[in-house]
Order: sequence, then structure tokens, then C-alpha cells
Amino acid sequence: MSEIPFKNPGWAGNTGEFDLTEEQVRGDDLVGKRPVDGGHPSGAASYPYMVADRNPDATLFEGPYRERFEKILSRYPDKQAALLPTLGLAQEIRGHVSPESMDRVAELLELSPAYVRGVATFYTMYNKQAVGRHLIQVCTNVSCNLCGADEVLEAFLRYNDVEPGETTEDGNFTVIEAECLAACGFPTCVQINSRYYENVTPTDVPGIIEALRSGKAGER
Amino acid sequence: MADTPATVTLTIDGREVTVPKGTTLLKAATEAGKDVPHYCYHDGLSSPAQCRLCLVEVEGAPKPMPSCVTQAMDGQVVRTESELALDMRKGVLEFYLVNHPLDCPICDMSGECNLQNYVHEEGREHGRSREPKRVFGRDDFGGDVLYYGDRCVMCTRCVRFMSEVEQDHRLTVVERGSRSVIDTFFEEGLEGTHWHGNVVDICPVGALVSKDFLYKARAWDLTHTPGVCPNCSQGCNIDLHVRDNLVQRLKPRENLEVNAFWMCDYGRGNYEWINRGDRLEAPLVREGGSTRAMGWKDALSRLLAGVEGASGKGIRAVASPFSSNEDLAALRALVDEFGGGEIVYRSARAEDEIVLKGFPTLARRRDLAPNGKGADLLGMKRVGGDDATGGLEGVAGHGGIVIVLGDALADQGADFGSAAALYVYLGGHGGPATANAHFVLPTATFAETEGTFTNFEGRVQRFAPALDAPGASRPAWLVLNALVAERTQGEVPRTAAAAFAVAGTKAGPFAGMRYDEIGPRGAVVNETVSLSGD
Amino acid sequence: MAYPYVSDREVRVLSRYFGDPMARRVDTYVERGGYQAAKKAFEMGPDAVIEEVKSSGLRGRGGAGFPTGVKWSFMPKEPTRPHYLLCNADESEPGTFKDRELIRWDPHQLIEGVLIGAFAIRAKQAYIYCRGEFFETTQVLARALEDAYAKGYVGKNIQGSGVDIDITVHLGGGAYICGEETALMNSLEGRRGTPRVKPPFPAAVGAFGMPTTINNVETLAAVPHIVNNGGAWYRQWGTEKSSGTKLFCVSGHVNKPGNYELPLGFPLMDLINDVCGGVRDGNKLKAVIPGGSSVPILTAAECDCALSYEGVQEAGSMLGCASVIVMDETADIVKQVRRMVQFYAHESCGQCTPCREGTAWMTRILRRIEDGRGAEEDLDTLVEMSRQMTGTTICVLSDSAGAPVVSSINKFKDEYLALIRRGERVGVA
Repeated sequence: MSEIPFKNPGWAGNTGEFDLTEEQVRGDDLVGKRPVDGGHPSGAASYPYMVADRNPDATLFEGPYRERFEKILSRYPDKQAALLPTLGLAQEIRGHVSPESMDRVAELLELSPAYVRGVATFYTMYNKQAVGRHLIQVCTNVSCNLCGADEVLEAFLRYNDVEPGETTEDGNFTVIEAECLAACGFPTCVQINSRYYENVTPTDVPGIIEALRSGKAGER
Repeated sequence: MADTPATVTLTIDGREVTVPKGTTLLKAATEAGKDVPHYCYHDGLSSPAQCRLCLVEVEGAPKPMPSCVTQAMDGQVVRTESELALDMRKGVLEFYLVNHPLDCPICDMSGECNLQNYVHEEGREHGRSREPKRVFGRDDFGGDVLYYGDRCVMCTRCVRFMSEVEQDHRLTVVERGSRSVIDTFFEEGLEGTHWHGNVVDICPVGALVSKDFLYKARAWDLTHTPGVCPNCSQGCNIDLHVRDNLVQRLKPRENLEVNAFWMCDYGRGNYEWINRGDRLEAPLVREGGSTRAMGWKDALSRLLAGVEGASGKGIRAVASPFSSNEDLAALRALVDEFGGGEIVYRSARAEDEIVLKGFPTLARRRDLAPNGKGADLLGMKRVGGDDATGGLEGVAGHGGIVIVLGDALADQGADFGSAAALYVYLGGHGGPATANAHFVLPTATFAETEGTFTNFEGRVQRFAPALDAPGASRPAWLVLNALVAERTQGEVPRTAAAAFAVAGTKAGPFAGMRYDEIGPRGAVVNETVSLSGD
Repeated sequence: MAYPYVSDREVRVLSRYFGDPMARRVDTYVERGGYQAAKKAFEMGPDAVIEEVKSSGLRGRGGAGFPTGVKWSFMPKEPTRPHYLLCNADESEPGTFKDRELIRWDPHQLIEGVLIGAFAIRAKQAYIYCRGEFFETTQVLARALEDAYAKGYVGKNIQGSGVDIDITVHLGGGAYICGEETALMNSLEGRRGTPRVKPPFPAAVGAFGMPTTINNVETLAAVPHIVNNGGAWYRQWGTEKSSGTKLFCVSGHVNKPGNYELPLGFPLMDLINDVCGGVRDGNKLKAVIPGGSSVPILTAAECDCALSYEGVQEAGSMLGCASVIVMDETADIVKQVRRMVQFYAHESCGQCTPCREGTAWMTRILRRIEDGRGAEEDLDTLVEMSRQMTGTTICVLSDSAGAPVVSSINKFKDEYLALIRRGERVGVA
């Protein structure tokens, strides 16, 4: 579990009138552990993740990833429908979706590379360029904004001394402004890789960054 | 069946029209004489209804309807120019201009641009945007295509052409919202595709332009002449765009029976030869070792006199598949008149056909000339190799009459025709192999005369003269038929129609066809033909 | 319990187990009576299920409020081709955060709803399209689904009934517009998530070209309860036109933001003052957006309305997905409207011109006004643009962008004018 020393262990666990531990909210026991091979085929397409450990030069879809890819394919009437999850899978492995990844995905799914590029660029979650190990996305949309999201974004940028979209020199952090993350009741919501951090205030920022830097943030 | 009427009747701008069931409002409006502005809709592509320019008011509908996808219904009342429709379209046109660079003075499309046209017709007098414009710049798409993203209206016709018609999904919309642009897969481009020139044609604005045509001419300086593509036996209908008596570009012309709206890149790019400058300009007559230019009358009377001396030793003729049916029929008539003999022709053949997958009856055919079929029907025989060389052994050293029409004899040496009693050459260009010709007669190319070609399937299609023939050049059919008429005391056919009638007398399949009755889609000769194109 | 705060005025049907981690376990769910509704539905037959849902008056909870049973009845009765049920979990409307809670606290409730919906429309395959950002949420769902498969509640011959239904969790790639049902279908098919022209409607030509129904997470989560207890039982809450309970997502300037399940027709001011503990820091209420960022803004004076589909409409706005964004006197209307329009510009798919160009242009104008470089004509331009962006596009994203602009210019013109004339922000305490 996370050792992040701030009030919110994630998912608004100890805000409001509830007294839940992070273990109860997002522990393996009650959430499940992410199977690299995708687990049951019904959920295989739901596991592409944004993870910190990635290798931009990895061969795509080998070993358990290949198994997951095959499981994803098995759930759709045609290959094209597997495109979004497959792009997500490529990103989980390599950290971003490079032209070469698009080409490979196109080949596997029997699509034209230009088509795959068109689809990949439509969606915001496929990083077209390499990003930091931790991609910090701060929601600044209306509900969060009313509660000070601009200051939270500013705090992340200032603490890391970067401009929006820029990656820190050590390659650890990229900070961007995000659109609504559907956690409006827990402002400000910040998504860092796969995880939502809720009720984030500017004073929480150093703690989050340092925990991430020291690897104590508890990534899945 | 009987109780479902095949037509619907509706009112468009106060006019009642009856159209087949399933007709879109856009097409029905055309019937009613109204052209509704549109970008994304194209007759040859699917309709995404996304440009939102063809919005019209339909009585009873809660909002304006895109006429390109809304089907006409019985009793519908449609207004294409009501206050609502005009207001919505005015809005859409203003949106188009928010980021448009308005660089019409340096845009190739200017003068034939539908953004210019529509804004002029229906747009606001002044745009209200005070914001800085988004800038994408220019992108080389490879092949003959340049993309100016700032001018693009995102109609996606080009994307749909490549995916639906050429069926090689090289183009795509990249990004989304106001950041979206058309692009290829990074550096892949359109290189290696065979029909991409069409995306320039269907682009309603100046976003996709031809590198070949770039900055060459202003649209309003071009004259458009309907023609038939001379670069293969498909016979795509084209317009020749001409300025200063030079062909500046070829554009496809609609013919759903032959090429729909399209033409191949090979045909499109292959027009410079039509503009070749070193033309023969006057009849040349070789007498007693010297060659003199003279007028037609003198030249032809000398030629007829020469025939008297040369007859009896047989006649051999070479024709060209670039000649019209009229020229070829006149040659056939003349050869028959001189006692009959074999007419051969040479024609280049490509290794493969290049089929347009989304319209598979259209292909760049193997035969790289427009009228090999016409020559075949007139009993001429194809000789030589696939590179249109050789095969003239029986002609080159023939001792009787030798007539060459149109074939430039580029592969033949200076001794060609040296043994001939009478060697007549008709064509546009002289060369080593015409040195021995007794008569070199300048004739007009297909681009300079009126006539017909017969395509691979036997479809006879008319073309009109786009250029002025140089000097004293005349249509070959006029020259050849005049010679025949002189011998037979008959009447000289003075028109292409009359010259075409000669074909009917010389080849059964043409019999019964009348030049005037060959419509804009052409007419298929009276013969069973295969569609394979071989 | 509701989550993260509790109110005794709630009627907790769907949200009953929010905040109870054990509810995710299939055994717990079954112990509490789970998967009995699916079994019952399979015995009733599809038509009876549709009738029951019709009689409940349940309306689509994704924003449009179309009666669910009626929607289901559009599907062909004799399937000759595969049918699909798509569950729309692409929750992205600013202000809305109920589906994520429904999925992560009570995934089996949704799975059971999907089973019944799929059975009713005669589909053998259902997809739950989750927005791409919901990594951990979908992990909960995938885990629950795997357990349900293992126990025979999903898959072949469910609970020995002979009914086969497969469910697949699908993860999107990050695009608000994919919450629009036809864009969702395109996205599921591996295309750019652009909305399709209707007709044809999904029930005729939907996902993969087959008859398809798309329902929101909350809609489907309500279905097991309706099947278990009957349509009349569900109608005990709400109004004639808006029956049942609804999750209200309250965000912004209230003391206790969160999800509250209340009968439809609940008074808006009671929601703010009683349920949510009042406006933050005792400030004055300035404005409320009652249905997510796509609906017109209500002034404090207009907030004396009932939260039903018809009640909010009477007040001049729309219930949408019941995402109540509360703004107190400190809220900067121009900035917030700009932020919302910026969102629409970012999320516009870009196919229709009025939306592609209009949303981006509006954002720039609003930014200029915000920076004190506006002109009074800009307001006229904005209003006219909104009119020309409304009803002129394939989907309603551009209408949505216009709604906050027009309503805020009408209702908070002073704030715009002060910025334009003096570069001052007024009304911002």
C-alpha cells in the first residue's frame, strides 16, 4: 500500500463520514490484483494500464502480453474492435504509442497504419510522445476549478519546475492539465498514471511527489 | 409491390417535384433547380453529413436537416432559402472562415473554389473573428499532392476517396476538434498509389493541390474542353484545361458508364507530349532530291499523280492507335481505294492493369493507347512488341506504296521507306524515318481535332478540339478522305460526323451508328465485347 | 450508507452499499439477495421484463431521460442477427461522478442489470464501455465479472436457466464524446469516436451493424431492483413523469459534496441546504448548474425548483444526469463558463463545422473577455454563434457548449460587461 503521508489514501477513503482504510478501498484483497496476462477474457480489455515501469524498446505483445492480446481479440466480432485496448496495451508496455507501435498494431489487426494513427490521435490517453514515469493529470474543469484546481495545477508545475506538458529533467514527472475525471465530488482530482488522487490541495503536492519519487506511492 | 409507389412528390421552394423513392433532398432540390451548397457530400462517396452546409428547412422538423442524407418524403415541404436555412448556412460559412487564411491571391483553387463561391453567395459581408488564426502550414503528401491544412474545410472527401474508392486507407483525420487535420501515416504519404490525383479534384477548396499544376495558371484563364483520355484504352472522360494553346492539366469528367468521376494518375500526368513543340507545319514534298514546302492543293495533286506511277506494286500502311476512328476509317478507305492492303499498328502495353477497387470497371488498362479497339474493328493488325517497337519489317523495305499515319517511327532508321515507289507520311513530327518520304503531310493530333475513340469495350466516345493545330496542319481524316474523293469523284466529308460515317461503311460494328447520336456517355458498337480489357 | 456523506432524507436503493467494500464480493452480493432478479427475469421472458420496466417509468439516467422500457421495445423481437447491449460507463460530463461510484462499490448490481437488459433485448453479448481513465474502477468490475463467471452467474447457461450472456469490459481511450451513444458504438468498433448520423437508429443498425441498445450504468443498475420488486414499487418514489430514485452528484461550493440518492422531484434548495449541509462557509448561493455542464445555468432565484425532469425544465434548465454544480458568491461566472466551453472545444470530435470551429472560437472570445480585452459586440456574437451552433450538428455537443454561454450572458451580463468595460471582475466576492 501507499505510504503517501497525506490525508487522502485514494478514493476519498477518509473524507466525509466514513472511516475506511486504503486497504479496504483499493487493496488487492477487495479490488483484485492486476493480471499481466489479462486474467479472465471478459476483463482482459480493461487492464491496459499506465505504469511507471516501462520499456520504450520492448518488443510488443510477447509472453503474457501476447496472451492478453489474444484474449482481447476473442471478445469482439472483428479485429478492428480490438484497436483501442491494443493501443492501450502497447502503451502499458512502452509508455507511449510511437509511430512504430502504431505500425505494429496495424499489422496485427490488419488495418492501415494511417487509420491507426487517425484513431490513436483522436483519443487523449494515448501518449504520442514519451512522458515522465509519472504522468500527472490535474483536472481543472468546473467542479474542481470552483474548489481551487488551478492552484493545485500551479503547485504541481512549480514544485517540479516545469511547464504544462513538459517532463522533469530526471524523467520522473510530466504535468498536464486534464479534463473532467468524473470525481467532481472530491476536488481536486489528480490522476497520476493509473491512480486517482482525490481532494488534493496545493499543500499535498510535495508529499505526493516525494512519495512517487521514492517509489512509495503504491502503484499497481 | 404495386401498392408501394416508386416515387414521392414533395415541394421544394414552392416547386413541386417528383423523384424516385430514396432520393435525398439535395438531389431532389437539384431537380427543382436549386443547388444546395455542400462540401462533404460527393456523388461518388458515402455521406457523412458533417460539413453542415447543406442544411435546409423541412416543415415539421424540429431543426434544420442535412439535405445530403435526408430522404425525400411524400408531401414534404422543403425550403432551401428560408430565413432559417440561410441563417444557419451563413453561420456555418462564418465558422469556416474563422481559421481560413483567406490567401486566395496565392491559392491555386481561387476562381473555382466552393468556399469563395458560397461565401460570396450566402456568407456574411465581413467576418467577425478578431482572434489569431490557427496555423498548420503546408505538408507534402507525396505523389502529386500538397496539403494546405489552413485552407482545409475538413470535409474528409479525400479520406473517403482513399478508403472507399481506391481502398488504400492512406489518408486519415489526425487529432480531433479544431486541431484536426488530414494526414498520412507520418512519412508514408501517397507515394505508390495510383489514383491519388482524384483527391485534388474532389477537394472543394484549395487544401489539396497538384504539385504539377502549382502556380501554373489561374483557374479563370483556363478553357475547358471535353475530351477522352488518350493514355490507355479505358477511355476516361476528361476535360483538357488549356491556356496559351497549351494543355495545363487533365481533369476527369463524369461518365458513370466509364470512369465515374475519376481518372488514374498515369493518365492525368501524361499530357506533356500533347504540347510538344517541334511540329510539322506545312506539307513537304520531295522531288528530285530536294524537299519543298507547298500548299495542300499542290501537294495532294502531286500525290495523286505519284500514285498512278506506283500502283501495281502493292500497298502497305502503318496506323496509330492514337488516331481517331475517323482518321483510321479514312486511312482504310484510302488503302482500299488504292487497291487494298494490310494496315498494321503498334501499341504499347503495360504489364498489368491497375484496377480502381471501389469502381472495378475502371482501370488503367494494359493497352496504353486510346483507340487500339477502333483499329482492330477496322481490320488493322497489331504488330511489334509491348514497347510499341518493331514489327514493321514488311513495310520498311516495301517497294510499292507505303502510307504511315500517326506512328512516329521512332525506332526506325533512315532507310525506312527507301525502296518505296511512293512513301506518304502523315503525322505531327518528322524524324529520321521520314527522310525518304515523298510526301510529309502535317496532321492534327486528337487534341486539335474533333472525333471519336473506341475504348476497350467498344464504346465510341466523342472528343472536341482543345488546341489550335499548328500552321497548315489538318485533320488526317480530311486529308485522306479528300484523296479518296478526288479519285472517286465523290464528296469530301467536311465534318467529323461525315468522316465517322465512313467508318460505318468500312467496319460492320460501326454501321448504323450516327455521330450526332453518340451522347455524353458514348455508345457501344454493335458487337459483343468482353469487359476484361485484354 | 451513502458516500462519502450520509443524509437521512435519502432513499438508498442503488447506493445502499456505497462505502461497504464487502459489497464487491460475489458471495456477499448473493447473500444479500443478488442475482435473484436475473433468475426471475429469465423466467418472466423478455417481453414481460420490458413491460415491467415500462411500468416502472424508469427513464435513462445518462442525461436524455428516454424511457428505458420503450427503448428496449424498439429492438427486433425475433433476432435474426446478433443483438448487442452496450452499457455506457464513459462517464465524463463535468459534474458527474455517479457511475464510477456505482461500479466500484457495487459492481455486481451493474452486472446483474446488464444481464437483465441483455436478456430483455435478446442479446447474447454485452459490452460495458468504461472511460479509459477508470483503471482502478474497471479493475473492480473485471474482478467482479470474473467471480460472476466462475460462479455461473454470467456466461453459458446462467444459473441453469439455459440463457447464455457474455459480458465484456471495454476500456475507452479518453474522449468525452464517446459518451454519445453512436460515438460510443464507433469507438467500440475501433474507430474514431465520432457520432453517427441518425437515422438509422441503433436499434436497427448499431454496433457492428447489428441491432443495439445503449443504456447508462445507473439505468441498468436500477433494473434488478425493478424486476425484484415490480414497477409499481419503483413508482412509489418520484413524480408521475419522473419516477423512482436518482443519484444526485453534488459538487462545487457545498459543505458536503457527494452522491445522494433521492426521490426524483426532490427540492433543489433542500438538496443544497439540508442534504449537503448548505453552501460552503456560509456563503451566499450565486448559481447552480443542475444537470452537468451541458445545461443552462440557474440563478439563485431560479433554484426554487423540484429536481425532476419536468421540474428543472420549468425552471429553465434541464435535469441532464442530475449533476448539481453549486456556485457561491465567490464564483467567477465568466471564468467558469470559459472553462466549460474550453472543455467542449477540447472534446469536440471535429466532424461538424459549427462545433469544430465554433467551440474553439468561443473559447478564444471568452478568454479575451476574461483578459479584459473584450468588446460589447462580442456578447452579441457569442449569442448568435450559440444559436447557429444549436441544432445544426450531428450530436448535441455544440448545443451543450452554447447552453452555459447563452444562459450566463442572459443572467450574469453584469459580470461580462464589467470585464469588458473596466477590466473588473464584479460579483466575485
